[in-house]
Amino acid sequence: MAETSLKAKSPLNGYRKTLGKTKLEEVSGLSIVSLAIPQRGKTKLSDALKTAFGVAVPAPGKTLTMTSESGLLIGLQSDLVFALFMKDMPDPVGFIGGKIGDTAYLTRQSDGWCALRLSGPLTFAALERLSQVDLSPQSFPVGAVARTAMEHLNVIAIREDNETFLLLSASSSAPSFLHAVETSVRNVL
Amino acid sequence: MKAHRISGGLIDRTKPLTFSFNHERYQGFEGDTLASALVANGIKLVGRSFKYHRPRGIFSAGSEEPNALFQIGHEAHQEPNCRGTVTELYDGLEATSQNHLGFLSHDLLAVNDLLSPFLSAGFYYKTFMWPKSFWEKLYEPVIRSAAGLGALSKRPDPDVYDKGYLHCDLLVIGAGPAGLWAALNAARAGARVIIADEDFLSGGRLNSERFEVDGMPGTAWASKIAEELQAQDNVRFMTRTTVFGSYDHGIYGALERKTDHLLESNGKPRQVLWRIYSKRSLLCSGAIERPIAFGNNDRPGIMLAGAARTYLTRYAAVPGQSVAVFTNNDDGWQTAFDFAEAGIEVKAVIDTRSDCRKIAPEGAMPFYGDQVIDTKGRKGVNLALLKSGAGVECDFLAVSGGWNPALHLTCHQRGKPQWNEAINAFIPSPDLPKGMSVAGAANGSLTLSAALEEANKEAHAISEDLGFKTKSSPAPTASDEAYEGAPFWYVADSKSRAFVDLQNDVTSKDIALAHQEGFRSVEHLKRYTTMGMATDQGKTSNILGLAISAHYTGKTIPETGTTIFRPPYTPVPIGAFAGRSRGKDFRPTRLTPSHQWASKNGASFVETGLWLRAEWYVKPGEKGWRDSVDREAKAVREGVGICDVTTLGKIDIQGRDAGTFLDKVYTNTFSTLAVGKVRYGLMLREDGLAMDDGTTARLGETHFVMTTTTANAVLVYRHLEFCRQCLFPDLDVHLISTTEEWAQFAVAGPKSRALLEKIADNPADLSNGAFPFMACGEIAICGGLKARLFRISFSGELAYEIAVPRRYGHALFERLIKDGKAFGVVPYGTEALNVLRIEKGHATANEICGQVGAQALGLGKMLSSKKDFIGKTLGKRPGIAETDLRLAGFRPLDRNRILTAGAHFISNGQTASLENDEGWMTSVAYSPGLGYSIGLGFIKNGDKRIGEIVTAFDAVRDNSMDVEIVSPHFVDPEGERLRG
Repeated sequence: MAETSLKAKSPLNGYRKTLGKTKLEEVSGLSIVSLAIPQRGKTKLSDALKTAFGVAVPAPGKTLTMTSESGLLIGLQSDLVFALFMKDMPDPVGFIGGKIGDTAYLTRQSDGWCALRLSGPLTFAALERLSQVDLSPQSFPVGAVARTAMEHLNVIAIREDNETFLLLSASSSAPSFLHAVETSVRNVL
Repeated sequence: MKAHRISGGLIDRTKPLTFSFNHERYQGFEGDTLASALVANGIKLVGRSFKYHRPRGIFSAGSEEPNALFQIGHEAHQEPNCRGTVTELYDGLEATSQNHLGFLSHDLLAVNDLLSPFLSAGFYYKTFMWPKSFWEKLYEPVIRSAAGLGALSKRPDPDVYDKGYLHCDLLVIGAGPAGLWAALNAARAGARVIIADEDFLSGGRLNSERFEVDGMPGTAWASKIAEELQAQDNVRFMTRTTVFGSYDHGIYGALERKTDHLLESNGKPRQVLWRIYSKRSLLCSGAIERPIAFGNNDRPGIMLAGAARTYLTRYAAVPGQSVAVFTNNDDGWQTAFDFAEAGIEVKAVIDTRSDCRKIAPEGAMPFYGDQVIDTKGRKGVNLALLKSGAGVECDFLAVSGGWNPALHLTCHQRGKPQWNEAINAFIPSPDLPKGMSVAGAANGSLTLSAALEEANKEAHAISEDLGFKTKSSPAPTASDEAYEGAPFWYVADSKSRAFVDLQNDVTSKDIALAHQEGFRSVEHLKRYTTMGMATDQGKTSNILGLAISAHYTGKTIPETGTTIFRPPYTPVPIGAFAGRSRGKDFRPTRLTPSHQWASKNGASFVETGLWLRAEWYVKPGEKGWRDSVDREAKAVREGVGICDVTTLGKIDIQGRDAGTFLDKVYTNTFSTLAVGKVRYGLMLREDGLAMDDGTTARLGETHFVMTTTTANAVLVYRHLEFCRQCLFPDLDVHLISTTEEWAQFAVAGPKSRALLEKIADNPADLSNGAFPFMACGEIAICGGLKARLFRISFSGELAYEIAVPRRYGHALFERLIKDGKAFGVVPYGTEALNVLRIEKGHATANEICGQVGAQALGLGKMLSSKKDFIGKTLGKRPGIAETDLRLAGFRPLDRNRILTAGAHFISNGQTASLENDEGWMTSVAYSPGLGYSIGLGFIKNGDKRIGEIVTAFDAVRDNSMDVEIVSPHFVDPEGERLRG
């Protein structure tokens, strides 16, 4: 029997910084699961999700806020949804699987992503220097999600409110990603 | 002495600025450009010409400037070829003139001007022919040092640059009257508008003229419209921003100069390169005045007439006290009127038109139907000689040959401009880049009223086209100023050199010479004479050159055509194109979970793609990398080693048809793989050559996890997505990468089982019976953490790969090292990993190199005959299926020699030639266990030639030697260790 549990380490060690009035911080302790929609199984999954979390399968580019949990369903492509919970779960796949059964193929993604929350008046100006996607409120309202590239890194960008974005990028390149975002904020300060 | 600065203008006299030119201090004001400040300080001589080193002065007031190029800044910040006409003045600006040897006023290289008969267009094609070797070593360096456009600092650029992306419904290019009005109308309709202008002050020609719009001074009107635009949330108003290129799909490139008008950038980006995505665009870039070519038309004090008005009206700077105007059109006369109105002496107006009836300002002599054939004055014009024989004493000569629409961006996607007889200039063709419209002078509507009318019409049309409701509103009222003129390009009677392209010292005689020597197409003309090249790209010279060329070819100007305008419209610093992507920011870095531990424990890192991997760990006393690698490899064979293999691609494959899908992408069968088992798979490209290999584990009936090589992780994932979406869309199969999710470590060596049992929670039966070679499953470790365990081996040893959620990777690596001390554990890097796999005879990217199929790799038996798979058909081609190349092992006869990869195999006694080439060495390593260098490679019939001696021929590194062909499995050929 091993003696102690291993200590978890987040990709950016809990980074948090305020630059002017703009805040940049790592959001650790998220639980993420990908839900691949079986062929011809979208309706079945939607029904299961409605029962479990109060929301159906979101369209690609949209997020839906769960009513029963603190979390989002994120529509990434026609057959792929991410479930993102705002809390740390030891077995998120088991948790969702217990609620929706085999209506989706589930894959653990919690540790694959580093999450940065960027909020404040310079958020949009900073992201203009990084993403080719039109992130203006007209084209990218609160609740919108896009897969994009920032400084060669894959990023999932979610607009949480008018001046707040949640950015997910790969864990292994988290320091490079942080450097890119922080540089952008500094450049527009 | 009369003042060079008069009252008025758009400068802020409460904000004086001090600057230097050639180390002399001068004063200007906020709102000045470097050029206007020099004019206001009475400076006329600002540089030397490219080839002949002739004295040159300021010629224009915009980005078309061919002469007034300066080096700005000093030391590493020094930037050459800055156009003074668009360089915004700031306190502390340091400018120096370019292209002279010694003082600007006494340039030693001005001797070139005396040699001009020998330096005509293309002279270097005809001279310096002998001796041949002197061209590169002597002639070219001398020519290059004598001609040029400034010098680089030759130090790294210390400035910061950035890039960004903008989106809009309508991009308005140019904030002159047409652009401002169009932008305002579209914005009022609700469109998202970006309006960009290269100037720091919007208003365009309104700032240079005395026009009225809607009953108010033009500058005030422009200021009012700009304010209204800037107050709107749906408008982005970008001054100091040049839209330099038009690209596909409504995309435009723009350069915003953020801090070029400041002494210090304070760490902020100096310039930002924008990519602008527009649904529609409206080009309102105005027009560029063209000169007339006549003898000695390049002297300081000779300037475009419109530019003269700009200096006078906008900057209150007087370029001359005794003025003459040479024109072929009514607009040129305006310069005479404006200077006279300002109280400056106007000596004469020379109009090429005999039928002109304009009345000259009081005191000015009109010369109708006359021409300036020559000028005098070495460092500044002092006399204009006319064809009629008259002479006009003047210290300033304003020239106007008419106006050319600035249509360059309409041509960036191969648009060909059309000739317009009414204005004697090219206008944009109807075949515009998709989504683009043109309004105002850029479209040939040269009067203010016409420009505003056209902008009004286009703005409404575009807004409606974009789905916005617009109200019909009239254009602002403005006058239609006179611009009529008669075509006149050059003074044929000039005996002296008449400069067509001031920047490249191309004369009318050069064009005649090009014609005489057969370079008659405009593109040939450009290359032969260099007309239209360099920083101004011929903005003031092209039409003159075409007109002269047309004269010699007997064609019309439209028949002669134009050269192709390409981006960028004006120069863009290389630094701006690079943006942030310099040095360590050139690309991102991926770090393994054990990176921090490795950094603290002597790891040397190697870049593998974006990853940084530990290649070996240096221990105290080790004198070179071989010491470390030998120690690590040996320790794995004798005890246990830990290697971070997180970098291997991991692809989660799920779905009812996942097994069927794998059968199609792998050469061997996976649908029959039992849950809890792992199988080695080989993947072919469609052409039948090997693409990648790896193991795939079955975690559930509908759930597999594929591993790929580090290098091919993305390639394989992309390939699988293509197969899934395009080739087999009916299969229920889904992919997602889990490379980032799991930290994965190889635990290899005879004591690996013991180490894993130590960290595993009880009960964990890892015995050979319970968890045999190629088993996989979940295991609880370290107090309840669920890990994935795979009994696979790349090293050939008893080995496992253990995977945990990445957040625990760092801690698990530490734990394995700590708990492994009792077993003599070592961390090992990629080099030891390579040694171990070569000893075992496992292929990797060196062998799966895109040139060989399964047979050559010795994996022919993995090609299933019971099913179809990608690459099966084309893999049957003789060159692949019937190849006699086989993977074999090699060792030097002289065991002290070191093999080199890339050596080619030649049968003993044969000469080293392509015909005798029998294969090549793919991988080599020093085997610490065997005590000599070993290698893998492909050689003809290698599997049947064991024991044969061949030559490994390596002429490149002078390392040829005799080697013995052996089995590729140097260690444990029967696989007893890995199954132990």
